[in-house]
Amino acid sequence: MSDRDGGHTDGGVAKQRETGSRSGGFGGLAGRLFRTVGTQVELFVHNYGRYLGKTIVGAIILFLWAPIFVLSFMSFSQREVLSFPPESLTVDWYISFINNPQALEALTTTIQVAVIATPLGIFLSLLIAYSVSRYDFRGRFLLQAVATLPLIIPLIVVGVAMTMFFGFVGIQSGFWPVVFAHTVQIVPFGTLIILATLISFDTTLEEASMDLGANEFETFRQVTLPAILPSIIAATLLGFVISFNEFIYTYFVKDARTNTLPTYIWDRLQHTATPEVNVISVVFLLVAIMMVVVAVAITTVERVAIRQ
Amino acid sequence: MSGAQPTVGRVTELVRATSNYLRDRPRLRLFVLLALPVTFLVAIFVIPLLIMGWYSFLSDMPPASLTLDNYAQALSTDLYLGIIWRTTVITIQTTVIVTILGYSMAYSLVRFSKKATLLLVLVILPFWTNYIIRMYAWMNILQSGGVLDTLLMWTTITSEPLGLLYTQTAVLIGFIYIWLPLATLPFYASLTNMDPNLIDAAKDLGAGPIKTFLTVTLPTTMNGIVVGIILVAIPTFGSFITPALLGGTDNVMIGMTIEDQFVSTFNWPFGAALAVIVSLFVVTAMLIALLLGTDLFKQQGVDQ
Repeated sequence: MSDRDGGHTDGGVAKQRETGSRSGGFGGLAGRLFRTVGTQVELFVHNYGRYLGKTIVGAIILFLWAPIFVLSFMSFSQREVLSFPPESLTVDWYISFINNPQALEALTTTIQVAVIATPLGIFLSLLIAYSVSRYDFRGRFLLQAVATLPLIIPLIVVGVAMTMFFGFVGIQSGFWPVVFAHTVQIVPFGTLIILATLISFDTTLEEASMDLGANEFETFRQVTLPAILPSIIAATLLGFVISFNEFIYTYFVKDARTNTLPTYIWDRLQHTATPEVNVISVVFLLVAIMMVVVAVAITTVERVAIRQ
Repeated sequence: MSGAQPTVGRVTELVRATSNYLRDRPRLRLFVLLALPVTFLVAIFVIPLLIMGWYSFLSDMPPASLTLDNYAQALSTDLYLGIIWRTTVITIQTTVIVTILGYSMAYSLVRFSKKATLLLVLVILPFWTNYIIRMYAWMNILQSGGVLDTLLMWTTITSEPLGLLYTQTAVLIGFIYIWLPLATLPFYASLTNMDPNLIDAAKDLGAGPIKTFLTVTLPTTMNGIVVGIILVAIPTFGSFITPALLGGTDNVMIGMTIEDQFVSTFNWPFGAALAVIVSLFVVTAMLIALLLGTDLFKQQGVDQ
């Protein structure tokens, strides 16, 4: 938090200025010029670095939020053709979204998939993370690598591989392939997050519990689980967000009838985009904000609970 | 009510009996723990990738004879080589710009901001909204006569609409927008973890802010930088949404070509070969990045 690189220890710069002018003798004119300019730049950064940094942060946050404000604003636009600024404001598109059975079905499917895929993915992650951190076995690193691999192989590659797989084994229904695909995508995040806390967790507590007669399951439930619960909650929230927004896997494994909200929007964008898409974007934004609020609320509750 | 209680009791009893039985059998215990996740990952992730590899050597949809033609076609046709080249160029441009911007921001947040956590939430929140939605927002902004053109003409910076949509610039803006929040996180983490005394030491020894940055801060945080670069470069290289929505037909990237083989051309074996090439490209690039990262690390003698 403190102002270190651009700090107020003037000694450094002053000292350098001295060396700069002194060594000019054997560096020639060009060398002296170069050093002077260098010193000037150092001085400039020293004096104004803090403001430069703050400007960059401000500009980037504006850059990140401007498109979201534009969309939210345009969801109230009257005209069907996209124009900015909108000539008059209306909530018609929200009403048309609520009355559109296809959009609502896509929203329902998205939530159903997320509600099944997230706990499944986090449960598998927990089993993997626990085994990897508490047992020494052959293939441990291989397992860890395979569990992390969906993060590294481009989504489209796994997406088309799954298309071929589900076609090959002849699974036609769109819903369960989508759920399993989402689960695959949640596992690496879940494993990494939970593994990090399991590794840093003091295992002597577990040993103590076992010495006192508890078996491994009881130990896990009463000692380990409470300690790693925050990371499980964090992983669950992240998993839900991943599943709710997932597009590429879904796009490749779904059948024609199944649509999640992202694939529904993709379809709309292939034809003519109406402000209804803006309304859906507001839905996505609200879900994102909700998740952050839930995350903050849970951590606060936890902090209060610990204090008591 | 009366039925539920004994059932719960019986289940608890069963769990206790099972775990007591497993107590002295660690191998069996491990099997019980891992049977489900391993089966799942093998069935839904590993086997699909193997099937994809097998498809890439087929001359047609199965049953068909094995061939290397798909790879030969992908790696000898100017069209596909051009697409792979363009994909590489855009990936490098995106990664460089995102790294510079993201690092500057993370640096400012760590050194100059009093509300770093709040600002970090503001940076991450857009990342949690949907990818396609964010690209759609940029379509609205960049299209001819869109938000950007309206603003620029209203402020009389330009007199004619720029119409940036469907250009390579638009694709770049889209990628930067998507990956900037993600890259900032590892940069931020590595900058927070570094020992601030190192900076003070460099200052005391007479280094100015830039020299301090180049000789102390940058090498110490190299690990975070490598992670950020990997997080940006891999998904950019395989992306098809951003070039499809913002780049149009003139800025085709390899991901779009793969998608095309499965969605409209229906040449699965060729699509599979392209996907295998992309995976090899990405894995090789990542290994090189990790090796370079650790090398730089060793040279600086920083252990962590």
